[in-house]
Amino acid sequence: MITGMDRLVAAIKGEKADRIPVFCNLLDQGVKELGLASLHDYYQLGEYVAEGQLKMREKYGYDNVWSLFYVGKEAELLGCRKILFSPDGPPNVEHFVIQSYDDIHNLEIPDDIIHHPVFAEELKCLQILKREVGGRYPICGYVTASMALPALLMGMDKWFELLFMGPPDVRDELLAKCSLFCQRHIAALRELGVDVIVYANPFGSTDFVPLPYIIKTGMPWMKQDLSAGTQGIVYYCGGARFNQVIESVISQIGIETYYLSPLDDIATGKQIINGRGLTCGVINDIKLIDWSEEQIRQEVKRMLAAGMAGNKFLFGTILMPYKIPERNIRAMLDAVYEFGQF
Amino acid sequence: MILEKVIAAYSEAVFDTDRDKAFEVIHEAIAQGVTPEDIVFKVVIPSMEQMIKAISEDFDANLAQHFMASQIASQVTDEMVAQFQTSPETIGRVVIGTSHGDMHTLGKRIVSGCLRSLMIDVIDLGVNVSAERFVDTALEQDAGIIAISSMMVHTARSEYSCLAVRELLKQRRLEDRIKIIVGGAPYTWDRELYKVVQADAWASDGISAGKVIKDLIMEMHK
Repeated sequence: MITGMDRLVAAIKGEKADRIPVFCNLLDQGVKELGLASLHDYYQLGEYVAEGQLKMREKYGYDNVWSLFYVGKEAELLGCRKILFSPDGPPNVEHFVIQSYDDIHNLEIPDDIIHHPVFAEELKCLQILKREVGGRYPICGYVTASMALPALLMGMDKWFELLFMGPPDVRDELLAKCSLFCQRHIAALRELGVDVIVYANPFGSTDFVPLPYIIKTGMPWMKQDLSAGTQGIVYYCGGARFNQVIESVISQIGIETYYLSPLDDIATGKQIINGRGLTCGVINDIKLIDWSEEQIRQEVKRMLAAGMAGNKFLFGTILMPYKIPERNIRAMLDAVYEFGQF
Repeated sequence: MILEKVIAAYSEAVFDTDRDKAFEVIHEAIAQGVTPEDIVFKVVIPSMEQMIKAISEDFDANLAQHFMASQIASQVTDEMVAQFQTSPETIGRVVIGTSHGDMHTLGKRIVSGCLRSLMIDVIDLGVNVSAERFVDTALEQDAGIIAISSMMVHTARSEYSCLAVRELLKQRRLEDRIKIIVGGAPYTWDRELYKVVQADAWASDGISAGKVIKDLIMEMHK
């Protein structure tokens, strides 16, 4: 039987399996599979999250599982004491660790993430996923880039203020600490057997900052974040566009997988990557809430027609909103399974 | 003639996100005898309107440019207004905040800066704002616009967010007096979403929100 890992490895090599790989990023939906009362309850135990991930992968038949609980977990590892849970969407960071520049000086980066008490449930989740599907279905982890992590620690507007108008020494001190955290987080996930690490960096997108800024200022930090190598790293800008940046990232950093924005042109992205890596075409999953099943089918067909030629292509979603009806998730996957066959 | 040069130099500095240069241009103009009133009404506002027009014509400005343009403009405006001969009249008042359950502040800050530079009074309620607080404050402060920023689709669509504000406006028969504008990432991803949440208008970015809100205010003044 062909597994998700077989499909991914075939795609990386430019070979054909039965169909293209499908990365379907369902996180919060796990609570429904387990019949728990709330997302708050669901995210309290690694066993719950692992079970949710395994059940959803089994139920829908896509090719990946996630060790990520929610993005704010990184902030918790760095001292965040309050997360705002919602009944129907991802939790938000409510307590910002950095309220003043002194807090930046005092920010401590954990030496040992794996044995950090805040990581205990993720560790359990990862161990279960590894035991149950390791080697057969790619286990995904999520790491926020040094340039984006401050937004989780101080809020995006305060980070913009420091980044563009603040004292350069304070800004660089924070970036250095965030980069160290990023490196340690990546190392921890790799040690625990994570296969695919989504390296999330909205500041690597031209929707966020100008291209010259990315090349001059962003790229050195990305290099530092990824100094241990780019094996398994996926370039992702939080859904923001980055087709214009791909050439520089390939030549300067060497990342081999690009998780495009739904707003990027898939054919153009693939043309720029030009066989030097894997391209993921990503559906606009916010539209999946209201689209009809036929609209979804046509959109998937369009995307795959743009991306499948020449192989080295997979289909993906962003973090799928909780409100997407199950029938629409199935419609999307059925269409990928149909049109994504070789 | 001098004002044309000031507008050009100031706009270029804003485009380059060079705050120090923008202030240098303004301070030089003041030293040459340009009044603070002219700086606001003949430099800052026209420059902001030029940027809004450029964005509407597909100029692909990024978030950093939006942020810096709004911050520079509002900081220059604050500095100049403090030097006005008489207190300036604002053209309207807006209550702004992030939707219930949403802690993301950047979009709201860009919009607020842009509005202040357009001489629109802004009451910022912060983050995670309840529908009641939006409506009560708009009433208390005689604001004609409620602006709701959402970064996440579930906070945009939540029954406690814009939909609840709409419901309160209906219940209290305030729909003619108070209009709702929404913005933030989910609305960019789904351009029909503002109708789903029953807003009167939406804007695709923080700078364009300035124009949409100004137009709404002008329409309500008719």
